[in-house]
Amino acid sequence: MIRVEGLSAALPQGQALRDVSLSVARGERLGLVGESGSGKSMLGLALMGMVPDAAQLSGRIALDGQDMTGATEAAWQPLRARKVAMIFQEPMTALDPLVRIGETVMEPLILHLKMRRRDARARALDLLAETGLTEPEAKMRQYPHQLSGGQRQRVLIALALACDPGVLIADEPTTALDAQIALRITDLLVRLSRDRGMALIFISHDLAAVARATERLAVMYGGDLVETGATAEVLANPRHPYTQGLIAARPRPDPAMIRKRLPVIPGTVPTLGDLPRGCRFAGRCAAELPRCAGTRPAPWPTASGQAACHLLEPAP
Amino acid sequence: MRHRASLILGAVLVGLMAAAGLVSLAWTPWPLAEIDVLNKLAAPSAAHPLGTDGLGRDLLSRLMAGAANSLSVAAGAVLLGGGIGTGLGLLASAWGGRVEEALMRLCDLSFAFPALLFAIMLAAAFGPSLLNTGLAIAFINVPIFARVARGAANQVWVRDFVLAGRAAGRGRAAISRDHIVPNIAAPLIVQATIEIATAILAEAALSYLGLGAQPPAASWGRMLAEAQTLLWVAPMQAVWPGLCITAAVLGFGLLGDGLRDWADPRLVRRQA
Ligand SMILES: Nc1ncnc2c1ncn2[C@@H]1O[C@H](COP(=O)(O)OP(=O)(O)O)[C@@H](O)[C@H]1O
Ligand SMILES: [Mg+2]
Repeated sequence: MIRVEGLSAALPQGQALRDVSLSVARGERLGLVGESGSGKSMLGLALMGMVPDAAQLSGRIALDGQDMTGATEAAWQPLRARKVAMIFQEPMTALDPLVRIGETVMEPLILHLKMRRRDARARALDLLAETGLTEPEAKMRQYPHQLSGGQRQRVLIALALACDPGVLIADEPTTALDAQIALRITDLLVRLSRDRGMALIFISHDLAAVARATERLAVMYGGDLVETGATAEVLANPRHPYTQGLIAARPRPDPAMIRKRLPVIPGTVPTLGDLPRGCRFAGRCAAELPRCAGTRPAPWPTASGQAACHLLEPAP
Repeated sequence: MRHRASLILGAVLVGLMAAAGLVSLAWTPWPLAEIDVLNKLAAPSAAHPLGTDGLGRDLLSRLMAGAANSLSVAAGAVLLGGGIGTGLGLLASAWGGRVEEALMRLCDLSFAFPALLFAIMLAAAFGPSLLNTGLAIAFINVPIFARVARGAANQVWVRDFVLAGRAAGRGRAAISRDHIVPNIAAPLIVQATIEIATAILAEAALSYLGLGAQPPAASWGRMLAEAQTLLWVAPMQAVWPGLCITAAVLGFGLLGDGLRDWADPRLVRRQA
């Protein structure tokens, strides 16, 4: 469905993505995790042809067999919403305060599917009902400020589903919501993906949500894809030190943990300009070797995927 | 509270002027061109509430007709120039890059020129008439609105709902029309109100110089010019149109100020 090969995104201050290769099969649910600033959103936007003007892309992107490498805005536009759709982190600001809910969801139906307003309205109502929005009929006539965060995220999901895309990219769709609503939205995305055979790229830094929602996992750090594999496998048996740190640092309702301090990955994500030339994690890594900072590790095979770490290099 | 007061006072002044102008289209106390030389420069009386001018024409009637001319030319010019300028500003904002750069440099260039002088040149080049005065004023409004619209639009383009709109497959034109325009309407309306005040002044100046309304049409600027020769004999001839110009300019200025404060979300929040 989606195939990315050697994708890099160069910003004036540094590389937001470096040589990322990844593919997502039809109907597959992929989790994309990593600390903030690791390039998850940039990768999501690249798959929509929507990286900021400042970013120079290189590498290949293919969507549903169609090569989109270097495609123009005009070439991307008809694919958005139809082949690949995206929802964003902040449901409070992702809806135009001056446009009624109904109009928002009807827009792509009229634009892409050339529906008449009557049909578009009926379809929008179905979509809103499908996302579990209560009283969709009344909400169609309301403005965004009249809805809660969870309700707005459902509206945005309905909008993204309007043209029945093959892939839905959900960029931290639950980060701005409280825990219980977040859980429901996560389950909704999984159900929609199953029902529709729609691939889902679920971007999150909540490992529990990713474990619940996805089959395959990709871990990003500093613009690199550091580890991929089956979600359960990677979480149970992480091979990359960064993944191990990420899993150790996640909050757990574990009684034994309550009095202890939560382990954290030492240091903070360096800014783009300060990333090491070799492994991006060098400098924060507990198991660092002398060559890590200078030489980029190759991706080595793991049980269900790959991890890019010098420690995994087979002994000669 | 202060903005409430200027909003109300501005609306009242503008309303009065607009009403007088509108009424003049259907009815004036005396026919506008009725000359009565025997009765020239008459003092206020029951028949002529503000007296008559140097040709014995009813002053109140001519002031009312002047309101119609001044306001319609000023508002029409701002609407036309503002519409074109807004369109260009939206274009610059939506396309960015070199298009934006070029358009904004053109605006800067036009701001380097005194606007009124430019309008005088244009009106003189087109030939003296009220319509040409309006076109000249419209012209100087184009860069003003291009700049305001582009600035406001650039702030809307970076908002999340625009990103969501693009993700839904909308193009730049559709986003500009459905999301940018409604979200920049408030500052544009405020700007337009303030620019109408400036345009009234410009129209008066051009008509005073003989480039605008031509006799026998009534216009405040024109009336000022006609009163000039009589200033020592009949000072009220100049006072009345002067007062009208002042009131109209002040009215639109206050209205614009009041609207701006009213539309400013920060002020609204502070009050809540
Ligand atoms: N519009 C932009 N202009 C400049 N830098 C950006 C822009 N968007 C993202 N970046 C930079 O790109 C890097 C990756 O950001 P992002 O993809 O948003 O990370 P994530 O989604 O994983 O938190 C960050 O260092 C961020 O500062
Ligand atoms: Mg992000």
